[in-house]
Amino acid sequence: MKALHFHYFLDMNKINLTCIIDDDPIFIFAAKRILKVSNFCNNFTIFNDGEEAINKLKPIIESGDNVPDIILLDLNMPIMDGWQFLDEFIKMKTTKQIALYIVSSSIDPVDLEKAKTYETVTDFIIKPLSKAKLEKITADFR
Amino acid sequence: MDHIEKRVLTSKKPSIANDELKFLSSIQNSIAMGSWEINLQEMDLKWSDMTKKIHEVSSDYKPDFEEAIHFFPEGKYRNRLLEVFDRAVNLGENYDVELQLKSAKNNIKWVRSIGYPIFENNKCIKVHGVFQDITDRTNRIADILLKEKQINSTWHHSPNGMAIIGLDAKLKSANKSLCQFLEYTENELIGLNFSHLTYHEDKEVATAQVLEMIEGTRDHFEAEKRYISKTGKLVPCLVNVTMLRDNNNVPMHFIANLTNISKIKKAEQDIKNLLDTTESQNLRLLNFAHIVSHNLRSHSGNLQMLLDLVQDEIPESTDNDYFPLINEAVNNLSETIFNLNEISNINTRVNNDIASLNLLHFAEKAISNNRAKILETNAVIVLDIDKSIEVLAIPAYLDSILLNFVTNAIKYRQPNVALLIKLKAQKTDEHVQLDIEDNGLGINLNLHKDKLFGLYKTFHKHDDARGLGLFITKNQIDAIGAKVTVTSTVNEGTTFSLFFRYE
Repeated sequence: MKALHFHYFLDMNKINLTCIIDDDPIFIFAAKRILKVSNFCNNFTIFNDGEEAINKLKPIIESGDNVPDIILLDLNMPIMDGWQFLDEFIKMKTTKQIALYIVSSSIDPVDLEKAKTYETVTDFIIKPLSKAKLEKITADFR
Repeated sequence: MDHIEKRVLTSKKPSIANDELKFLSSIQNSIAMGSWEINLQEMDLKWSDMTKKIHEVSSDYKPDFEEAIHFFPEGKYRNRLLEVFDRAVNLGENYDVELQLKSAKNNIKWVRSIGYPIFENNKCIKVHGVFQDITDRTNRIADILLKEKQINSTWHHSPNGMAIIGLDAKLKSANKSLCQFLEYTENELIGLNFSHLTYHEDKEVATAQVLEMIEGTRDHFEAEKRYISKTGKLVPCLVNVTMLRDNNNVPMHFIANLTNISKIKKAEQDIKNLLDTTESQNLRLLNFAHIVSHNLRSHSGNLQMLLDLVQDEIPESTDNDYFPLINEAVNNLSETIFNLNEISNINTRVNNDIASLNLLHFAEKAISNNRAKILETNAVIVLDIDKSIEVLAIPAYLDSILLNFVTNAIKYRQPNVALLIKLKAQKTDEHVQLDIEDNGLGINLNLHKDKLFGLYKTFHKHDDARGLGLFITKNQIDAIGAKVTVTSTVNEGTTFSLFFRYE
């Protein structure tokens, strides 16, 4: 994982767009509320599995419009899981730096080690999501 | 014996000079052969010195016929002597018999007695002959016969299959066991080429060794070979082949000794199957534990998030008796799942994380992590660990194991006794033993020994006692191939002894 330096966002204090990729409706509901309560970002988009995320992110990233600042990626998902999403995601050419966080219930050291092999992955956040954990992302972002 | 010979013998009646007598006497001595003579008219018996020596009587002993006969034990041998002597006297037959004799000193000896009757006017007047001690030779023969009997009995009754195989690879002889497990009769096996019995894949197994044995550069070999029984069964054997050579070192034949290892092979296979089953079950169990804890975690995580949100967004809904209890239950659930996960992770750790670690260094770290508690309780820690001692462990586990034992010793101290903790290490041939001794509350091992390292077992009414530490510690100890034992007396203290492997 590499340290983030968002020079061109230095003047902005708030994350604009967050993308949540997760198949669990309860988590999505709770995550949305926490994001709102902690005033984390202006907008968010939700994808219910890796494949949907890839299909919809591809044109967005190619066009350069409405590219998310932050991606919160779950690992265990049907159809295309988090790892498969990552393998596809790293092939996309982005002009904008996107901070990608894995957000998973897994505390398996194997998953943690594997995450470290992806340069794209900023950090590994263990569920449940909380205000404290979001504050850390915000701090990284600034 | 016919009359001609009798006469020849008779005509050789000796007239011996003194020198010659001496010479004969010396020969008698060297071959342990004496002479004797009995004059039948006076029944006058004469023994040479050597004959007396064989009877173990003094040189001035005067033998008489009756006494002489009594040297031969009553029964078989005495009767035999009387019989041949009688035939010599009455029929003129020479005799040459081997008899048992009991000497004057009661030693049992084997003797060869040869007698020639001498006739005058068709009447036997005298019998004379030689008397030889053949005890050694007879004993040797008896020994050889006994050995042959032993070998024969081994050959016939051995549980191993044995065969004599000619240099042309044809069987010359086979014992009962070999016939049994190859399901042939001995007659069917004899003449059969040994390679005919060998399983085709194993025909070349020891070709080189056999050639070396014929050349004389090797005297035996051992190999695992499979044979085919008459009904086509595969018989795995451990075969040991030696070569028999004659006195000129010329190869005569092979001796093959075959141990039927079918049962061993089957047991090996059974064990392997069991191991495979166990391994796959273990793997499934680990997967199961992993999936269960992971899935449970996502649910408990959701519960926690929802509770946090309710607290933030609808604070008035938390102002009742239920909410704090629900909150606590969810927290406990999360913690339990976390701990279960830890345990399942311990068991999936791979061996290559194990390294040789400095024990003193890790012990000091465990103590320094407890520094605050040690200062607070005025505990005295005695470290008796040589700085050269290293143990095999996973670093994180060694940290956790030592930390847990030291923390427990502090936690379960006696309220009014100055706490003393001793860590003492010694290296033996098999392992490094680390004793962690305290003078704390102690554990009633009669009650708790079996569940000491069990999950969620507590032995003290202590706020922090959650019964998890020792369970995890025990799992970590197992994972690094170490062992732990415990001795304890209530109100006196506890000693945990750890046995680490080392390089």
